[in-house]
Amino acid sequence: MTTTTPSDRILAGPPSLLRRLMRAGAGIFRRAPLSAFWGVIAALIVATAIAAPAIVPYPPLKSDFRAMQKPPDEKHWFGTDQIGRDTLSRVIYGSRASLTVALGAVLFGTTVGALWGLACGYFGGRFDMASQRLIEFLQSFPDLILAMAIAMALGGGLGTVIVAIAITRIPFGGRVIRAVVLSLKEIQYVEAARGLGASHARLMFRHILPQCVAPYLILATTHLGVAIIIEASLGFLGVGIPPPTPTWGNMLADSLNAGLVPPWWLVLFPGLAITITVLAFNLLGDGIRDLLDPRLRGSI
Amino acid sequence: MYSYIARRLIFGALTVIGVSIMVFVIMRILPGDPLVAIFGPEGLTKLTQEQRNSFLTELGLNDPLWAQYLRWVGDIAQGNFGRSFFRSESVADMILRRGPLTAEIALISVVLSWLIGIPIAIVSALRPNTLADSLARFASILFIAVPGFWVGMLIVLALLFWFGYRTPMAGVGFFTDPLANLQIVIGPGIVLGLGQAAYIARMGRSSLLEVIREDYVRTARAKGLNSKLVIAMHALPNALLPVITLSGVLLGLVLAGSIPVERAFGTPGLGYSMFQAVSERDIFVMQNLVFLYAVVFVMLNILVDLTIAFLDPRIRLR
Repeated sequence: MTTTTPSDRILAGPPSLLRRLMRAGAGIFRRAPLSAFWGVIAALIVATAIAAPAIVPYPPLKSDFRAMQKPPDEKHWFGTDQIGRDTLSRVIYGSRASLTVALGAVLFGTTVGALWGLACGYFGGRFDMASQRLIEFLQSFPDLILAMAIAMALGGGLGTVIVAIAITRIPFGGRVIRAVVLSLKEIQYVEAARGLGASHARLMFRHILPQCVAPYLILATTHLGVAIIIEASLGFLGVGIPPPTPTWGNMLADSLNAGLVPPWWLVLFPGLAITITVLAFNLLGDGIRDLLDPRLRGSI
Repeated sequence: MYSYIARRLIFGALTVIGVSIMVFVIMRILPGDPLVAIFGPEGLTKLTQEQRNSFLTELGLNDPLWAQYLRWVGDIAQGNFGRSFFRSESVADMILRRGPLTAEIALISVVLSWLIGIPIAIVSALRPNTLADSLARFASILFIAVPGFWVGMLIVLALLFWFGYRTPMAGVGFFTDPLANLQIVIGPGIVLGLGQAAYIARMGRSSLLEVIREDYVRTARAKGLNSKLVIAMHALPNALLPVITLSGVLLGLVLAGSIPVERAFGTPGLGYSMFQAVSERDIFVMQNLVFLYAVVFVMLNILVDLTIAFLDPRIRLR
């Protein structure tokens, strides 16, 4: 004989998003092996970034003046830069900066955008009109230029880079979630709740917001790649996280100062790291989108 | 059509005003103290109070904000883009000298993106899930992920390494020395073109796949029209409309992307001066260039919208 505890009863409800994601995770290997493969790569990159201090062969900031600008060999797999720092260690540490900025910016930007979009879609009227104009102004700037201007105005550093990139992500969150909310608002269960006298806050956060979680997750993962590229570009242009912190963009910018002919290993490896990371996150994002909501294919 | 054009232009003018306010807010108000942007957070602490005040007065930053804004907009309206802290040339002259190179790069990249992207999209869409399609899709996913400026660095490096070739450093106009001019712009044009081609191939493929299933395409086939003509005359023109819109959005990618790409190639274009303005903390030049880029982006998008409206009556009659 089985007894039901209260927690069992809660779990027995409609499958939660977490459950759906876990089941999707198992299914993804069968249905979309390519996405699954790149998902594993993305997970490995994240793990590398977290475990960086334990796995780097050399400290990323330590100069070795006996081995300056050496091409790759068995001691330094990716070679060393002009002041003898190990490129492999710096590439590994670079993943920390890149992922911190990308995750921070996308979470912050998409969340602010999504809440704004929720409010716009829900309240409509003048507030919505004004917000849409503001979003249009924001979108009149090419992403990188807006991020450059904000990062420059706020004056460099991890926090400012996150804020700068986050602001460029706000319009996307705002637009997509607003559209979702506009269509949800007219659905019967929301009208029923309104008819029962639910407050605005309850309608918005209890009835409409949960339906926005899937588009929100899709939006966030698909924008990780863009955020990584913007971060690298900012570093390359000298308005990112200031040196000596190793970031992939900083390393590429540094390589241009290494003489008339930049050493190939200083150019190749950081760029390869950016490409593989962005590829992994983009394909993972595509996979998540297809699993959670195939209708959104092409629209986000 | 005319009322659509008028509406779009008025909207555009409003957007430009909004954009100017936004640029002003970002560059002048956001830092709290514009001297932070000029000297950097560390440099600021080394200034004495008198130095700070004299700098602020000299730069007109002690006036009320609305007066500063109006003066800035007035200056720009008169074509006065100010001067850099570091170079004798006025910003307006710099734009006139360097702008054409960046415009050429943008033009080459857009043309290239269509020349590469559309044929790939057609092959991909007509034979979905074949080897060619898979290759094309993988290539487009790859080129979306690769940072353009890194590809640029690799190209520069490879040319130097194997051929000892370096592009000319001094900027020359197309009409004074076409050969030297092309050598300068072709590299960045190709890199930016490939990046856009990837998006265009992807969008073109899905758009074409949708259109091919439409009734009028089946009708065209049923009346015995040659299948090449069906694609060329019936499917493609309709499938290209969303691609044109996308191409307009991608112009933002070109305008912004040209900044790091020009740095990678050492191209003496406007993107490179943007990079210089940023690295020299030249806040007034930056402010004007950001505004210029945003206005160009807005105007190009109006142009794209009008093109779409011209091609698609469903939009202009709405």
